[in-house]
Amino acid sequence: MTDVSTPKEFLVMNHLVSLSYSEELTPILERYVDALIDGRIVGHKCSKCGRVYVPGKGYCPICVIETTDADEFQVSDHGTVTGFTIITPVAYYGQTETEPFVYASVLLDGSSGNLGGQDIIGVPHDQLHSGMRVRAVWKSKDQRSADGVSNRGWGSVASVIDAFEWTGEPDADRSVYEEHIF
Amino acid sequence: MAATDIAVVGYAQTPSTRRARESEVQLLVPIVTEALNRAGLDRREVGFTCAGSCDYLTGGPFAFVSNLEAAGAWPPISESHVEMDGAWALYEAWVRLQHGDIDTALVFGSGKSSPSQPEEMWAQQLDPYYLAPLGVDPGSLAGIQARALIDSGKATERDFAEIVVRSRAKAMDNPNAQLAGEYTVEQLLDEPYLRAPLRKHDFPPISDGAVAVVLARGDKARALCDRPAWIRGLDHRIEVHQPGMRDLTSSSSTTLAARKAGFDGGPLDVIELSSTFSPQEIILREALGLDADANVNPSGGPLAANPVMATGLVRIAEVASRIVEGSAGRGLAHATGGQVLQHNLVCLMEGD
Repeated sequence: MTDVSTPKEFLVMNHLVSLSYSEELTPILERYVDALIDGRIVGHKCSKCGRVYVPGKGYCPICVIETTDADEFQVSDHGTVTGFTIITPVAYYGQTETEPFVYASVLLDGSSGNLGGQDIIGVPHDQLHSGMRVRAVWKSKDQRSADGVSNRGWGSVASVIDAFEWTGEPDADRSVYEEHIF
Repeated sequence: MAATDIAVVGYAQTPSTRRARESEVQLLVPIVTEALNRAGLDRREVGFTCAGSCDYLTGGPFAFVSNLEAAGAWPPISESHVEMDGAWALYEAWVRLQHGDIDTALVFGSGKSSPSQPEEMWAQQLDPYYLAPLGVDPGSLAGIQARALIDSGKATERDFAEIVVRSRAKAMDNPNAQLAGEYTVEQLLDEPYLRAPLRKHDFPPISDGAVAVVLARGDKARALCDRPAWIRGLDHRIEVHQPGMRDLTSSSSTTLAARKAGFDGGPLDVIELSSTFSPQEIILREALGLDADANVNPSGGPLAANPVMATGLVRIAEVASRIVEGSAGRGLAHATGGQVLQHNLVCLMEGD
């Protein structure tokens, strides 16, 4: 019988895992990035249902048909805030934010899906609301890059667009964003 | 009692390539559609969908979720995923079909090994105390297995080279193969060792690729396909994780799986084995009791194309396609998981 009153000795072993990956962007994402650096936001428009995916996927996941460069479709850099949250940062490894910041979803005009995780400027945090009309604040052309765009499915615009600012227009009609609140 | 009226009625696969520029989902979309079209089945009629893939290959967390877009998951569908070769996705679908309330299932397996460093990544599949921290890679373990096989007197390096020559020659007829061509044993034996006693050609290629299979039950299978490839038996067995605790020169789990799948040693027109390293063909032939002239890996097998996570399901598709198209009556497909043949699946198929 083991004496349960004796503290057990544990052997601790550190095993740090590092895995390396290297990849080229898919041809569709390459075109997407080239367009972003040029100041255009492009996606693919499904020839069957008309939904527009930004960036393009090479297929429509609803209709399950392929889409190609011929289905490329430019969306506007103006859009509508569909949902948002204000994040009060807590200190954890890798956190660089110190002040409360906005994390908003923007439905660009012409797109069928939100652009997630965007900063909204030009309006105090306590006045943010769904339906606000916003426009992209582009980085200057020499500061735009492909950083942050990957084949992992989370295509980002952070390397070309700093934030979205309120246009001052009246709010969009609820029907524009009510199916996109996220 | 296992149902015996479930059959493969559709299939499609991508060619295997060293590096596909498209996303994994883009590889899947056309072949899922092709497999369903071959069966004449609308995707909205599919009763259950199951996929096999591994997020570590592309390093994309939840990559398996986007793969599901290839099946058209809206309106919502009934589906599942295994972090295993697609052959085990087929196993799950086969079990699901036996519930008897659905008639059809879609199965796919996909993998893009190109973005990762396979020798670095697959070491993580081993136990985290002794082997993974050492970075023991699959090629090194296969080298140990090959050495054990030679030391046991069961094989020589020449036998390994002969398997590779045969594999690449047969692959010349397979448009989906990655490595094909005419070689001589002498030519291959002149090559340097990569993991002695294995040379580079004893290894599988690093491949990107995908495969899809459609299953149907009973009358539905007959309605969808003139000559369904009936699954007469399907079983999988696993051995211990620690390779040092196994006899690497034999595969008792393959023997057991074959017996449980109902394989009685009877004649087989076609056999497709997941022998990802050349010596493993010798081990698997012995485990299954195959004759020397058995028709093994007419596709070229994994030495000609190894789209990891699809390789085993490709074996099933290769055997099924020969039965459906009428060139084979009875066949056996084998899939493997883990390292050096730890986990083995056997699928016995037959035409009417």
